Amino acid sequence: MQLEVKNITLSINSNEILSDITLSVNDGDMVALLGPNGSGKTTLLRTIYGILRTEKGAVYLDEMRLQEMKIEEIARYIGYLPQERAETNLKVLDVVLLGRTTYNRKPSESDVKIALQSIRDVGLTGFENRLFSQLSGGEKQKVLIARIFSQKSDILLLDEPTAHLDISSQIEIMEILREKTREGSSSLIAIHDINLASTFCDKILMVKDGRIAFAGGLDIITEKNIREVFQADVSVRKQSGRPFVVPISRKKPHNNRNKKIHVICGGGSGEEIIRLMSDRGYSLSAGVLNALDSDIDAILGVGDVVTEAPFSPISRDSYIKNLEMIDRSDAVILTNLCVGAGNLLNLQAALKATEKKKLIVIDSTPFKERNFVGDKAEEIYRKLLSRAFVVKSEEDVPKFLSKLVQM
Amino acid sequence: MKAKFIILLITLDLVALFIGLNFGSSGVDLFDGLRDTTAKTIIVDVRMPRALVAMAVGMALAASGTIMQALFRNPLADPYILGVSSGASVGAALVIVAGIASAVNITTAAFLASLLTAFAVYRLGKTRAGLPVLTLLLAGVAMAYFLSGVTSFLIYIAAKDMHQVVFWVMGGFWTANWFKLKVITLPIILGVTFGLYNSWKLNAVLLGEEHALSVGLNVEVFKKRMIVVSALLTSAAVAVSGVIGFVGLIVPHAMRLLIGEDNRILLPSAILCGAAFMPLVDVIARLITEGEIPVGIITALIGSPFFIFLLRRGKYAA
Repeated sequence: MQLEVKNITLSINSNEILSDITLSVNDGDMVALLGPNGSGKTTLLRTIYGILRTEKGAVYLDEMRLQEMKIEEIARYIGYLPQERAETNLKVLDVVLLGRTTYNRKPSESDVKIALQSIRDVGLTGFENRLFSQLSGGEKQKVLIARIFSQKSDILLLDEPTAHLDISSQIEIMEILREKTREGSSSLIAIHDINLASTFCDKILMVKDGRIAFAGGLDIITEKNIREVFQADVSVRKQSGRPFVVPISRKKPHNNRNKKIHVICGGGSGEEIIRLMSDRGYSLSAGVLNALDSDIDAILGVGDVVTEAPFSPISRDSYIKNLEMIDRSDAVILTNLCVGAGNLLNLQAALKATEKKKLIVIDSTPFKERNFVGDKAEEIYRKLLSRAFVVKSEEDVPKFLSKLVQM
Repeated sequence: MKAKFIILLITLDLVALFIGLNFGSSGVDLFDGLRDTTAKTIIVDVRMPRALVAMAVGMALAASGTIMQALFRNPLADPYILGVSSGASVGAALVIVAGIASAVNITTAAFLASLLTAFAVYRLGKTRAGLPVLTLLLAGVAMAYFLSGVTSFLIYIAAKDMHQVVFWVMGGFWTANWFKLKVITLPIILGVTFGLYNSWKLNAVLLGEEHALSVGLNVEVFKKRMIVVSALLTSAAVAVSGVIGFVGLIVPHAMRLLIGEDNRILLPSAILCGAAFMPLVDVIARLITEGEIPVGIITALIGSPFFIFLLRRGKYAA
């Protein structure tokens, strides 16, 4: 069944809450409705469900005009999960059975059967006779979702189904909803967790001030769009092809802004120190890294980087660029990286940094376990250790750093 | 389990009816009634209507209380929350002070005044957004205070009729007769039937109004109907028995503790329990002293400790 919202506008006390909203949800769609608090997500869902009456525009279920239907009828086509907290001493089965009130005056045998199936669908078999009030937050939400399932409606409207839940419940609930969607239902989920939306949904609607700001696939989750809709600085990265959003703290110590730190890393050894330094507000750079190195993700968005083509040894050019960055830095950090023939020049670069007494070496594991080159590297590393500040782990870096950068 | 519980309650009702017929201040019992015509008259024309009125009132108050507690989602809600009892008191007091007191006049005046009060509270509680229960509750409380002021004033100026008003307000069944039973039978049957008919939908309201809407219940219409039902039941009860407190609060609670929150079983249980509880307490009221004390005093004196006992059993998470 197709849900179509055409140009709806709604005002409450002459404030326009929804402005000219058009959207459609088709069979099998799992659509995330993203937007900050107060953007009109709840109002939009309540309007689609028919609780609020629009002044302009219409909502259609296939060919049916929803405004002309009674709420008893709408509930058979649309399962709506409100955000309102439910509290009752009813048993789980009795709560789920309520989904059948729109069909019968009293529940029949088959209603009970449907309710039991819905309880199974959300994985709560065995909970039928437990009191709703004694369940955990996640279990309560699953019971309410089972209640919607027992309405046997094709379209699900869910208002923040994962709010206030722990991460495992969030995932479980999104999985339950995805499963239902795969069986042919469609769902429109108001949610403010962008990453959860990106992990489970395929279509995104971003709402701002009662308008659809952006609509499309996952590719509309961009730093620019999120800044516009949520007024938040984030960095958007990719994880198994899906965007995920990392918040950027705007309140960084400003007195570190003009202190430059260069990180020589690779193979993921730099992630933690880069995060640590970035949190403290230092200006960062890193190098030389191969283009597919996981440390690239860490440095992108927070600093400059010298890159080399994938799987290629460090070229003369990159080496010199790296030296230039080292030259401009107030401190250089050599991470607990592995050394092979390809990145031996990084060790050489670190050696240059010791000439100005600004190298910190993070030496967590014995070098010979990380050395794939042989004696030559061993010798350079020994020199490094004798001329640099050596720390055992990333956490120890800041205290040396504060001495270094003040010099 | 559920069926057994209902059968138990029905048995309790029959026992209560038997006790109501068998005991009284005159000392005659059912065996006397078989042999002696005076005793038969006492049993058929005094005790029978009295026991039946008490049963009907118990049913009405328990049903109304259960409905109100569900509708308001508040364990402290009772049948009198819409100010119905205060309205009935004013109606009865007015008739008494005006010097036209008779069973018919008092009953009619109390019934009409209480319905009028419920209607007024409903209108006051209504907003553009519908009928928020909190507004309704506050409107009911305000109205009850106002009307009890009026009643106090009427008692104050009633002079020699003062005790009659006070006794009426305290509530009791000593004036019960076949006429009163006839008056309340129809409204109570209607109210109880409609309540039972909608008992499942009351469950939907328990979750909250937004959730009730989401299962397809037209909450505003439903609330309106249930309030009418509750007002009708309470008005009928109050009109024939005065203000008997506590029954409408504790009977639903006691049943909830024993059988659970599901109104499909809770509402009939409360109705049956009210029907047994009221005539039994009435028997106590007429036997405990030489004369007779108002039954409202007994319901409070017996009801609250029993209720506290149930609470202390610790099964209840309100």
